[in-house]
Amino acid sequence: MIMEQYTEENTYVVDLGEINSAADIIFNLSSILDNSEARNKKICLKLGNADLNQAQILSIKSLINGINSILSSIDTKSAETEKVALSLGIIVSNVSPENITEVNPEVPYKTAEEFKNETQAEIQEEIKETEAQEYNENQEIIKEGTENPEEIKEEEIQIPTTEEQVNIEDKNQLQDELEVIFGPDPAKTSIFNMEVPKNMYEEKEGLTDIIVPEQEYTKEDIELESFPTKYIKQTIRSGQVINYEGNIVIIGDCHPGCEISAFGDITVWGVLSGIAHAGSGGNQKARVRALKMNAIQLRIANCYSRRPDSLNTVYVEKTNSFTPEEARIINGEIVVFKIND
Amino acid sequence: MAGRVIVITSGKGGVGKTTTSANIGTALAKNGHSVVLIDTDIGLRNLDLLLGLENRIVYTLVDVVEERCKLKQALVKDKKNPNLCLLAAAQTRDKSSVSAEQLKKITDKLKKDYDFILVDCPAGIEQGFQTAIAGASEAIVVTTPEMSAVRDADRIIGLLEAAEGIDSYKLLINRVRPNMIKSNDMMSVEDVENILSCQKIGVIPEDTGIITSTNRGEPIVNNEKSLAGKAYINVARRINGEEVPFLDIDEPKDIVGKLKKFLSGLGKHGKEQ
Repeated sequence: MIMEQYTEENTYVVDLGEINSAADIIFNLSSILDNSEARNKKICLKLGNADLNQAQILSIKSLINGINSILSSIDTKSAETEKVALSLGIIVSNVSPENITEVNPEVPYKTAEEFKNETQAEIQEEIKETEAQEYNENQEIIKEGTENPEEIKEEEIQIPTTEEQVNIEDKNQLQDELEVIFGPDPAKTSIFNMEVPKNMYEEKEGLTDIIVPEQEYTKEDIELESFPTKYIKQTIRSGQVINYEGNIVIIGDCHPGCEISAFGDITVWGVLSGIAHAGSGGNQKARVRALKMNAIQLRIANCYSRRPDSLNTVYVEKTNSFTPEEARIINGEIVVFKIND
Repeated sequence: MAGRVIVITSGKGGVGKTTTSANIGTALAKNGHSVVLIDTDIGLRNLDLLLGLENRIVYTLVDVVEERCKLKQALVKDKKNPNLCLLAAAQTRDKSSVSAEQLKKITDKLKKDYDFILVDCPAGIEQGFQTAIAGASEAIVVTTPEMSAVRDADRIIGLLEAAEGIDSYKLLINRVRPNMIKSNDMMSVEDVENILSCQKIGVIPEDTGIITSTNRGEPIVNNEKSLAGKAYINVARRINGEEVPFLDIDEPKDIVGKLKKFLSGLGKHGKEQ
């Protein structure tokens, strides 16, 4: 069987990475979900190159909801699936470790001074114009966007629905469409032909209107702003790992040998000397901030950079005045800015 | 030709296992051999620091074992020497993450492509030690001329003799201070050899340059003036099967002593002729 399951913090991982046909994915998934271990869990679904459309992902979601579990995240290599899943409010992580090494590891991160002369003007414009404008434009979208996931959740709770809730007409219509998607194999379609409730199905059309697919940044900005934040008031020492599906704020130093990874931003009120991975869920807009940036490695989304060898010192001098620094992705590379104002 | 897997171990901590691994590895690579250094001190890794490769590590031994990456991806190339690779240990895990069989699999794989695989063993005789020696066929036991280190080395040699797969083991005596030996404050190299009844492969003099080299992330064999560096280069040549005379580490500081040494050296030379 092509699956791999381990339970960690109530998460159940289903690996269907080697299956490329949508129908087979759903067929395999349904047989895996029969296992009682999968009940009442957060399901993390690993997919390979398969392109899934909205209806297919919704079917998967309802299958999972049917056993009182939640589809917590999807791991996919397909851009199409990623787009659709994001538009449905599902967390997508496509930053497999292999993606990180594709970036040349020999590139040390640039300091702002190196970068300023070339691109400062452009960046300023970018920040001022695009962010300001588009932020305003997206205010309404954000409001709607934050409401909708809750709506979905409410409906998720109603599931599993009985057949009675689905009108016969809708059911027929649904089955027709499913046949178009997966082919007329009755054995396979029967698994989900009634698991998709009527209201869920309508929802899909509403959701697509909210996210504007042509502006990629909006989706990431919305994601960033909706993340919860974790506060940690302690020194993070060598060997300690902090993972959080949101933003992390650390009041204290991060010593070499520690690893911090967050789906959103990482802010360190102290010296950052360990490894920091912001946007570990794939969010390219995530940033790393620190009073003193001395990180061995900085990773943002699928970008990777290491500390320049010239900065390999025994320890960092702690002075009374720090200049806060911020790292972000610009044109596909990580740049560290000093925040002077 | 299959490569040789050598484990560098000691039992006691702080005697210079990691320094020895880094320097012998670098010296072998400098002589044109392809070398992989494996750090098995999971949770307390230091080998990367000594080589100055700390900021280049993306994948570790644990990632390879848990199949999150390929073996080749986890090998970090040295800055200066393309013949030298490092397979780093994970800092955020513990010794139980890698089993003896898993490490043996990795060393067996590496054997095919590299001349030397040096395994840096953690201190102690527990699971970490058992894991580190699993894939090795040779061992270098590092000790210092102190009673505690010698006792621990004796224990380790006993375990190595009992272990399957270890065909030969040699002794490396580290941090030797000729002046203290002269004044009878320290065990001599011969004493240590006699106590352990084990053949030595090298004698490394105490050198303050080691501290600087560790802090800079630059192995001391790259410093041609250092006596310890020379001694490590000789060890590397002996590992490779060459017969190299042991370095005269006796280094008097005052001019009279230097002159005496020079004259006695002349005398010896004359006698031999």
